[in-house]
Amino acid sequence: MSFITWQYLLFLPLVLALYWRLPGRWRLVLLLIASYFFYACWDVRFLALVLATTVIDYLCALSIEGKSPGTVQVLLLALLPAAWLGGCSLFLPASGINTIIMAAAGALGLGFFGGHEIIRHMSPEKRPRLFLILSIGFCLGILGFFKYFGFFLDSAHNLITFLGLRPNRVLLQIILPVGISFYTFQSLGYVIDVYRGHCPACPSLLTFATYDAFFPQMVAGPIERGKHLIPQLEQTQVFDPVYLQDGLRLILVGFFKKVFVADNCAILANYVFAPQTPLNGYWAVLGVAAFAFQIYGDFSGYTDIARGSAKLLGIDLAVNFRFPYFARNPSEFWGRWHISLSTWFRDYLYIPLGGNRGSKWETIRNLAVTMVLAGLWHGANWIFVLWGAYHGLLLILYRVVPALRSLGDEKSPSVIRGVLAVALMWVFTLAGWAIFRSANLQQLGLWLAALGNWHTAGSLPWVSPSLWLLLHIAPLLLLQILTWKYRDETNLVSLPWPVKGVVYALMLLLIVSSTEHDTEFIYFQF
Amino acid sequence: MKMTKWFTPAFLLAVLLLGLGELGARLFFAADISGRFEYGYSPDAGFDERRDGVVKLFRAGGRRFHPQSFQKQRPDGTFRVFVIGDSVPRGPSFKGAYPWLLGKELQQRQVQAESVNMALPGYGARRCQVVLKKALEFQPSLIILHVNDSNKYEDEREYRRSQEFKTWHPRNWPMKVFIFRRLYEAKTEKVFWRLVPEQIRAKFAARDADAQVAASTDPEEVRARVQLARETTAASVALARENQIPILLITQCRVWPDGRGSSYFEDHGLDALGQSLAGEGVYFLSMKEVFAHLPEGRAYFSDSGHLKESGHLLLAKAIVGKIREAHRQLGVTAFKMEAKDGGG
Repeated sequence: MSFITWQYLLFLPLVLALYWRLPGRWRLVLLLIASYFFYACWDVRFLALVLATTVIDYLCALSIEGKSPGTVQVLLLALLPAAWLGGCSLFLPASGINTIIMAAAGALGLGFFGGHEIIRHMSPEKRPRLFLILSIGFCLGILGFFKYFGFFLDSAHNLITFLGLRPNRVLLQIILPVGISFYTFQSLGYVIDVYRGHCPACPSLLTFATYDAFFPQMVAGPIERGKHLIPQLEQTQVFDPVYLQDGLRLILVGFFKKVFVADNCAILANYVFAPQTPLNGYWAVLGVAAFAFQIYGDFSGYTDIARGSAKLLGIDLAVNFRFPYFARNPSEFWGRWHISLSTWFRDYLYIPLGGNRGSKWETIRNLAVTMVLAGLWHGANWIFVLWGAYHGLLLILYRVVPALRSLGDEKSPSVIRGVLAVALMWVFTLAGWAIFRSANLQQLGLWLAALGNWHTAGSLPWVSPSLWLLLHIAPLLLLQILTWKYRDETNLVSLPWPVKGVVYALMLLLIVSSTEHDTEFIYFQF
Repeated sequence: MKMTKWFTPAFLLAVLLLGLGELGARLFFAADISGRFEYGYSPDAGFDERRDGVVKLFRAGGRRFHPQSFQKQRPDGTFRVFVIGDSVPRGPSFKGAYPWLLGKELQQRQVQAESVNMALPGYGARRCQVVLKKALEFQPSLIILHVNDSNKYEDEREYRRSQEFKTWHPRNWPMKVFIFRRLYEAKTEKVFWRLVPEQIRAKFAARDADAQVAASTDPEEVRARVQLARETTAASVALARENQIPILLITQCRVWPDGRGSSYFEDHGLDALGQSLAGEGVYFLSMKEVFAHLPEGRAYFSDSGHLKESGHLLLAKAIVGKIREAHRQLGVTAFKMEAKDGGG
């Protein structure tokens, strides 16, 4: 189920109405059922993967703290995903689950159970590390299989062909489960935090399962930390009208960004980055600028709706965006763009690799590795690897080139220097989006070639579409200017209430006037 | 519990503004918005049937009628003509268009005539038929149907638009609010269609009737639209006959320069259509026949299809000629012939 469907606009009030009427633990039961229903609306089969991730990380986290449940309990939990698939094949024959899939799920469960039992019988000092490895191994194994197996298989096939050999090609079509990167990273982050002692293991499977599958943020973030979300889920909240006010405001801003800004910009971006589109320099720039606002409006809009939906349940989710296009350097950009992912990579990869504590070359290596993997996280495609590497290169350049470092200095009091730094970073960001949006290297090459052609013959007029783009980003920029001083993109609270009232009414009108474009959220594919 | 505790004053103000906008539109512009989103396919839009027995024509529901009025019940002895068609009969101005001039010409011949211009710009056969159905309720003595083939595209596009958001499916609920739908319509027509090239809209917009229809260059689909327009015209004629109302078909022609300083006229096969439909109670007048034989026939046209006021006058006189020919069948008793009509 997507946030921008009428189903969600019925689903959310129903969940809210029930949630605030139920006592304590029953609220979690409701949230878990609602979350699984929300996810199952896409594909009921892949709920087994969510269950598998939940069971593995729940058990591993408890075992890291030496609180492992009994053998039978572990076995039963390990077989839960297989049981789910069995139930689906019995009651939902259309789900297409066959014996092979059920056997694979059973084998996965038994494999985990075996690993868990072996580690349980090892020496106590080794166990925490091994349980962590078991969790990471299984979770990344599932993620790797469903997201990257086909990619690596294709790449290996191409390499062998390139070397003049004849590969025996294995054809395997694997569907990418929606949101798998998000919930896998959220769950893994929790286990690592438990291992490090930053967060206690959650003793309740109900609470942990709800944390892992919390519907507002499950499929496209923000990637929550256990220590932030789990205590909120465990706490029995009393309804406060502020939840309603803040939640509705966030949802309104989110819809505005997604439906008015992103979906309208998408029309131009999709045209420019479609194969066969004849491009010149004007259209290349217009297309990538449209995509920059599309992806920002799309993803930050999703986050705002997620945060608003959670807020209506009395739960605060992490801020994921903070004026990213006003960053003065790449480091600041990543502190403002998809914050929950960049801090995840910082805390669980960059810092463990050594961060910037070693030599200059070690720092460069750590940055490069982190950013290449962050790029790969976005999708099984070399173009994302290139995008990650490009941002890694930017981070390195701003670190090693004194002129860039000086220009991008966040503490510089000069306004002109600040404007120049933002403008330069904006150009770098656009170039990055051109890589990100291109389907492959060939298309990226065509886009780059178009920058050398400023003839207008043979292509569509670009002036009126530029006006279209401007009309759709101007209200967003106005919103950002209004909220800039509060360091929160959605903070309209301090405006005088009559102004806010007019702003809300205008936003609603702009949203509804844009309903002709039905597009899915970009980040669902990651 | 106070509302302000649940909702902020700003939220309540926003709801109030939108609510007042909606209420105001529905209360004060009720007539203007009737059939607004049926884009010409509403049976009644633009017809205001008053309690005093007067029918007023006004602009509403995608129908830009020239404001006119007539009695719902045709007065005894009045020869009532309704002209239905597109921008050609609608004319450069109300009094410069042939329906008005026809009324004048008939009155000069002492026919107690009233001629009502029900022509609407961009209307093709399908929407003209909807107007015809309504017009038949008001006892016309003669229907003049101006047959043109250039608005089948608009008919199809507006039909598709009229079907959008029509059901009560929850996804259509916001569009049941007039101000939302109106803004959506304005944005679509004034911004979207004008700023985003058709090729892009056709490919990348989820719903865009304009681009969808424009992009359908499939010859089969185009042929089907032409066929539908012709069948609809035939059905309109049949409808008039069923109601025993005489109908005069005026077939449109176009004039083009022939490259040698002269011009040529073409009828796109409409004359043949008119001929085929003519029969008892069905009359036919070809615009090509009216203008093509004149030495400066092209001078009566403001572009390839629209007439200047002089052209409208000439056409009105030609219609008078047709009426004169059939005045007994049409029940026109008093008909004073002018010398320039050729006597008789």
